[in-house]
Amino acid sequence: MPRDVTMPAAQLPRRRQFLADLGLGFTGLAAAAMLHRDGRAAGNSWAPPNGQPHFAPKAKSVIWLFMNGGVSHLESFDPKPMVTKYAGKSIADTPYAEVQNPEKLALERAPVPDANGLQRNTLFPLQVGFRKHGESGIEVSDWFPHTATNIDKLAVVRSMWTTDSNHGAQTQFHTGRHMLDPVQPTLGGWVHYGLGSLNDNLPQFISIGTREYWNRKDGHYLGPAHDAVPLRIDPANPLDFGRPQAAFAGDSQRIGFDLVESLNRLTDAEYPSDPATAARIDSYELAYRMQLSVPEVVNFADETDETKRLYGLDQPHCKEFAEQLLAARRFVERGVRFIQIQHGGGGAGAWDAHGGLKANHETLARAVDQPIGGLLTDLDRRGLLDETIVIFATEFGRTPGTQGSDGRDHHPFAFSVWMAGGGIKGGTVHGATDELGFHAVEDRHYVTDIHATILHQLGLDSHRLEVPGRKRLAIDHGTPIRAILS
Amino acid sequence: MMRAAATLLLLATVATCGSPTAVADDVASTIDATLYLEKVKPLLARRCLACHGGLAQEAGLRLDTAALIAAGGDSGPAVIAGVHAESLLIARVADPEPASRMPPEGEGEPLTADEIAMLASWIDAGCSAPADEEPEADPRDHWAFQPRVRPELPAADEGTHPIDAFVNTRLAAAGIAPQPEAPRHVLVRRLFLDLVGVPPTADELQAIMSDHSSDWYEQLVDTLLADPRHGQRWARHWMDIWRYSDWWGLGDQLRNSQKHMWHFRDWIVESLNADLGYDEMLRLMLAADELHPRDLDRLRATGFLARNWFLFNRTPWMDDTVEHVGKAFLGLTTNCAKCHDHKYDPIGQADYYRLRAFFEPLHVRLDVVPGAADVAVDGIPRVFDALLEEPTYRFVRGNDSQPDTSQPLSPGVPALLAFDAIDVEPVALPKDAFEPARRPWVIETHLARQRAAVEQATTAGDAERIALATAELTAVERRAEAMQAAWAQADAAAEADRASLEEAAAVAARAAVRAEREVGRLKAWAAVAAFSGKLAEAAASQDAAAVAELEKQLTAAREKVEQATAAVEEPGESFTRFVGAAWTPTRFHHSGSDDPTLPFPEISSGRRTALAHWITDPRHPLTSRVAANHLWGRHLGEPLVATVFDFGRNGAAPTHPELLDWLAAELVDSGWSMKHLHRLIVTSAAYKRSSSLAGADAAIAADPDNRLLWRRTPQRLEAQVIRDCLLATAGQLDASLGGPSIPAGEQTASRRRSLYFWHSDISRNAFLTTFDDAGVKECYRREQSIVPQQALALANGSLIHEMAAAVADGIASTAGPATALSEPFVTAAFERVLLRPPSPEERSHCQQAVDAWQAAEPGVAADTLRARIVWALFNHNDFVTLR
Repeated sequence: MPRDVTMPAAQLPRRRQFLADLGLGFTGLAAAAMLHRDGRAAGNSWAPPNGQPHFAPKAKSVIWLFMNGGVSHLESFDPKPMVTKYAGKSIADTPYAEVQNPEKLALERAPVPDANGLQRNTLFPLQVGFRKHGESGIEVSDWFPHTATNIDKLAVVRSMWTTDSNHGAQTQFHTGRHMLDPVQPTLGGWVHYGLGSLNDNLPQFISIGTREYWNRKDGHYLGPAHDAVPLRIDPANPLDFGRPQAAFAGDSQRIGFDLVESLNRLTDAEYPSDPATAARIDSYELAYRMQLSVPEVVNFADETDETKRLYGLDQPHCKEFAEQLLAARRFVERGVRFIQIQHGGGGAGAWDAHGGLKANHETLARAVDQPIGGLLTDLDRRGLLDETIVIFATEFGRTPGTQGSDGRDHHPFAFSVWMAGGGIKGGTVHGATDELGFHAVEDRHYVTDIHATILHQLGLDSHRLEVPGRKRLAIDHGTPIRAILS
Repeated sequence: MMRAAATLLLLATVATCGSPTAVADDVASTIDATLYLEKVKPLLARRCLACHGGLAQEAGLRLDTAALIAAGGDSGPAVIAGVHAESLLIARVADPEPASRMPPEGEGEPLTADEIAMLASWIDAGCSAPADEEPEADPRDHWAFQPRVRPELPAADEGTHPIDAFVNTRLAAAGIAPQPEAPRHVLVRRLFLDLVGVPPTADELQAIMSDHSSDWYEQLVDTLLADPRHGQRWARHWMDIWRYSDWWGLGDQLRNSQKHMWHFRDWIVESLNADLGYDEMLRLMLAADELHPRDLDRLRATGFLARNWFLFNRTPWMDDTVEHVGKAFLGLTTNCAKCHDHKYDPIGQADYYRLRAFFEPLHVRLDVVPGAADVAVDGIPRVFDALLEEPTYRFVRGNDSQPDTSQPLSPGVPALLAFDAIDVEPVALPKDAFEPARRPWVIETHLARQRAAVEQATTAGDAERIALATAELTAVERRAEAMQAAWAQADAAAEADRASLEEAAAVAARAAVRAEREVGRLKAWAAVAAFSGKLAEAAASQDAAAVAELEKQLTAAREKVEQATAAVEEPGESFTRFVGAAWTPTRFHHSGSDDPTLPFPEISSGRRTALAHWITDPRHPLTSRVAANHLWGRHLGEPLVATVFDFGRNGAAPTHPELLDWLAAELVDSGWSMKHLHRLIVTSAAYKRSSSLAGADAAIAADPDNRLLWRRTPQRLEAQVIRDCLLATAGQLDASLGGPSIPAGEQTASRRRSLYFWHSDISRNAFLTTFDDAGVKECYRREQSIVPQQALALANGSLIHEMAAAVADGIASTAGPATALSEPFVTAAFERVLLRPPSPEERSHCQQAVDAWQAAEPGVAADTLRARIVWALFNHNDFVTLR
């Protein structure tokens, strides 16, 4: 509640729900209040989220690392020696011809038919070696040495599948829905909708990096208040509208904000107990603090050189991602709930190696690997990893068969993601693909199982977040992957 | 059967529960009835009643009362009281076999073990339930499906506005005293922002505030409704509901909506200003191509349908159409019946596809407009029936890869709303609809363009250019003559005429061919001249390699001249036709390139006309109610039916059912005049009430949500209104009408009204989205969030600072700049921004701020300080709020 706009509880209009929402910090007055207003809540037990988890959470925050374009599972976390052994042969001429059984391929839905997303028959050998790492001995490709050093913190899920064989699968990974289906909020949107703020001075759901157009919003029917706030790693201008005009900053601006507040308070004489005025006053105070706080978070002056080197800030090939991940840690430290980082966003996505896969993946892995290793190490030594989930994901895998002479095509039937921290059991491999890495065959998981797992660790039950009039299907909710929880 | 009878008997006993033998049972049954009411019944309602209740009775079974449960269905009683193990209900929900388990696979998750145990315990305890249980009402009796009749006005004092007669009756019955009328300056701001979307100028305000006539308010209403800015304001409302979207795609590739969609927006603005009937607007949006195939202005309306176009796949396009025709016009969530029968309303899955069948033949094309020969530059996006034979199939579970081809579906409406037969009559189109090059402006545009080219060349005095342009003009003339000759031949009634005209057409075609080839010859010559020039230059600079290369090219060019010269005299009748419209190519066939070009058929199916007539029939129970509800909600901030797109059984009930029906009757009986409804609504006392809670403790206690309209509900202004007000307050708003949407890159500098900004799924204005701009895919009501990002946008945005400085300078230049904060300045600033004078306290706070600034920044300029005061008022809650 705002500080001194008071009214007797009995007199509060139901719109005080608006103010309860404001307690959620940057969520503001959004869909929950809207639905309340619609009267949809009447007559059943539905109530908007109160910002509290549904059960004891294991994690507080999420760092969501999304590799746009489609990382080859075969050259990252799911080694398949048979692909190399039968390299140059058509899949039909290997003992594994069954993988191309049309029934198994039927799950694919191609919404954007172009020259990609096709069957690639001639096996293309693995382009990188694998080595076992850590006590768990999990194999990781040589392109990810820093991630590999941290393997005992990771749970690798090798049995992911999706249905979109084109890059709409990026949206699908975030929302759980194919792009031809009615759109759903993204996971970050749900988390923002469901959980209260840990720090009223900062936006609770941040997006860093370029998002392709089909994947630019989060809240959808929860409302734009649940879209991620786009953020730049630039202390001079990190936030849209976040920089005061040069001639009206500092004390001058503070005097201006104070004037606005006092003028708003004076309306109480004519419009007493108006919840919207109170909310507006609060929102200005929060905005003022946000505008001061955000630049400080993306300014690394108080970080040690050792930390900067750990992330690779001194390395040109990975500096950009290193800055983003260091900022992510600083946001987590300050209680930000969900930090969504898009790597290689724009167009189809940088990882989309239809040709020249070796050069493409080697370069991109170098751009992300050391920052990721640094982030995991840094979170761990600061005691933050226990309450922070880090996820490394992509929209689909890549074909075992070759496209052109040296690339791999889109592959929705199998891919890998990994998670760490926040109660995830490290040093775990979960699920498996067949000998060619073609289909996920053991413990298969659709993308929403990842959502369910993360929500579960945050103490949320997605069924209880469901909004009246917006029916979600069982597959939208997914099921937590309990085997990777400690 | 015996057991069923026994169960019923037991229930009867419990129900009467006065029997002396049942005293002990009575206590137990009370407990168990509680279990039934609190747990069993809600569970059944949530998971079972859609198929086993009032809406549908699968297998003859209803589960909406305990008695009906006991009576059971085709397979016998659903429960055996006291014996859950023998109860079918338990057997079916606990069935380990998915194929026979309830709810059926794909239609809901199985019940949990706890839920099954709860049901079992209720059965074991004897299936107790209260006596007075009512079965679910027949869905066809739902209020919104009943014919609309004009309700009688409640008795009221003479002179009471009819709306207030309805509202006050309810308030009086509840013993609630409404709030008084708002002060005049508040009313003036309400009317201006509500009806035209911008505030009055200082002069307008002064004139209105000092108007002593008794009907100043009504006069102002009439003035504003006649103002062209009214169409701009209300067009944005309807653009939300009708899902206006500029085109978008990947890079330059069009994937969604259409190029030049702004024509649809301009049609809305113009139609609203002309007070075109709501029914006529809907008819044109659905079927202008069949009703007025020759009328480009009206064809713009079908942008409503063309907006759903999607490059790659037919089904999402059709789904969007069916869903939003249902939601926007009928308040029906037909989309819920895409995969299965509707769970709340009597709409079967087949009904969904019958509705789709109305649109099945649709495709989109761009029609050439006068002045633009190329549809890439301009053109009207419109629909036409291209696929007259295309069948419509039900998709099994909504999956478009599983059509049920055993039964093609024809266009139709849900039985409960079929108050009249749907007559689909194919429409024979006029020739210039399917041969749009016949439209006179097509040839005229080409001629005009070519004449202008000749004129330019003549002005430039370039003989070669003159020759070429003249030849090109001749070619256009000959092609025009050839097309006209061909049309004359085709149109000739008598066989004899056709024969003679055939020869004339052939002659004209040959002339056109020759003229086109003459252009080719001149162009070939021009190429020779160009290469000769370059060759001379290369020779002069002694560049041997270039000389050799250019000599080769020159030789080739000369050969082309010879070919082109020879071609001129060769016979031929195949010349380049003028294009009157261009089909927008789809890529449904997954070939990696555009699908084969679709011709424009000579007839249209007439399906959409039939649909439009059904929707706009005055007897339709939903259309007028839904429209009246939209209009009311956007004036008062709260609609009468909260779920504006769902008038079905899962939607909200109207707070004032009779008022809704009366408004709907007024709409229909006035010829569906929206201005009539605007005028009625804004002249009611309900509209004019103060939104203040002052002195309203009793009303708050009795009706905290203001459902009975004892006060006005304050509204946060929509994004577009906020930006327009900023500009208008500074006198900088460009209120001109119409034209192409303003792309993102030009928006910062633009002073146009916000409805003209590019609005697509991938490009919306950042300032507007901060204030809950309409979602592009669906927005039946705007949100009114209050979030810190809005504070940042208003505090730091460059537009606000620019406008604040402009307002301050404007006032200072008229009120005198003597000091930083003269009294006239502060008064004028408040009146300009908030339309009211400041109170002494407000004045004093402004002065304190100025003192603080001067202390913090010695020597700060007076105009800076004045601009900051205006800035503060732009950030005032009252600026973004309709009080």
